[in-house]
Amino acid sequence: MNNHPYLRAYMAGIAVPTPGLLVAMIGYTVFRLIYHYPVPVERFIVFPMAVVPNAWGLWNVLFVAWRRHVPLSLGLHGALLPILLAPLGLVVSALLNFSIPGFRTHAFPILAPGMLIAYYLVWKYAVGFLNRVLDVA
Amino acid sequence: MTDKMTHQDEKELQALLKREFPPFGTAELQRDLWPEMLRRLDARLEPLRVPWFDWALAAAVAAMLLLFPGAIPALLYQL
Repeated sequence: MNNHPYLRAYMAGIAVPTPGLLVAMIGYTVFRLIYHYPVPVERFIVFPMAVVPNAWGLWNVLFVAWRRHVPLSLGLHGALLPILLAPLGLVVSALLNFSIPGFRTHAFPILAPGMLIAYYLVWKYAVGFLNRVLDVA
Repeated sequence: MTDKMTHQDEKELQALLKREFPPFGTAELQRDLWPEMLRRLDARLEPLRVPWFDWALAAAVAAMLLLFPGAIPALLYQL
């Protein structure tokens, strides 16, 4: 199965955050409607729905394209993605005129290392599994 | 006359089909693919081995989220 490896890599990458979005969306809807969580869901959801899954797919394409030239494991490659996504998320939230409660207070001491570790593990095991299933890596 | 024409058409059609679909003279495989298939199936059946430091990292993230639940929305925003 050597046809379209980049397309398969994109599909493997995008398949992981998409079900996660469903869980996050349900969680946010419940928090918003029941606990009156102060985040406008319709603006909040733009970034996780439109940007994050595509970024995962393209990041996996980059891994497949660069793996012969850059000796980096899939987990470490995935752990680099939040370095791009976190500032981009802040820009999008500023452009859409809303802020995520707790983001500024928890950003660096807790969120940054937590996100890097979470991305490392999810990329290593979930994306790695899909890459093996789709014969990408 | 009609029979002759039909016969001629059949011959032309036969020649055309023979030209377009050559006989499978070289259809034999160069090598046996089954051992490779078996090897890949066996490779996929290998159990997942998670090293201890990955367990430690997962525990650290879980502990962080339990201690600071205010970070969960921001984390979900990026996932």
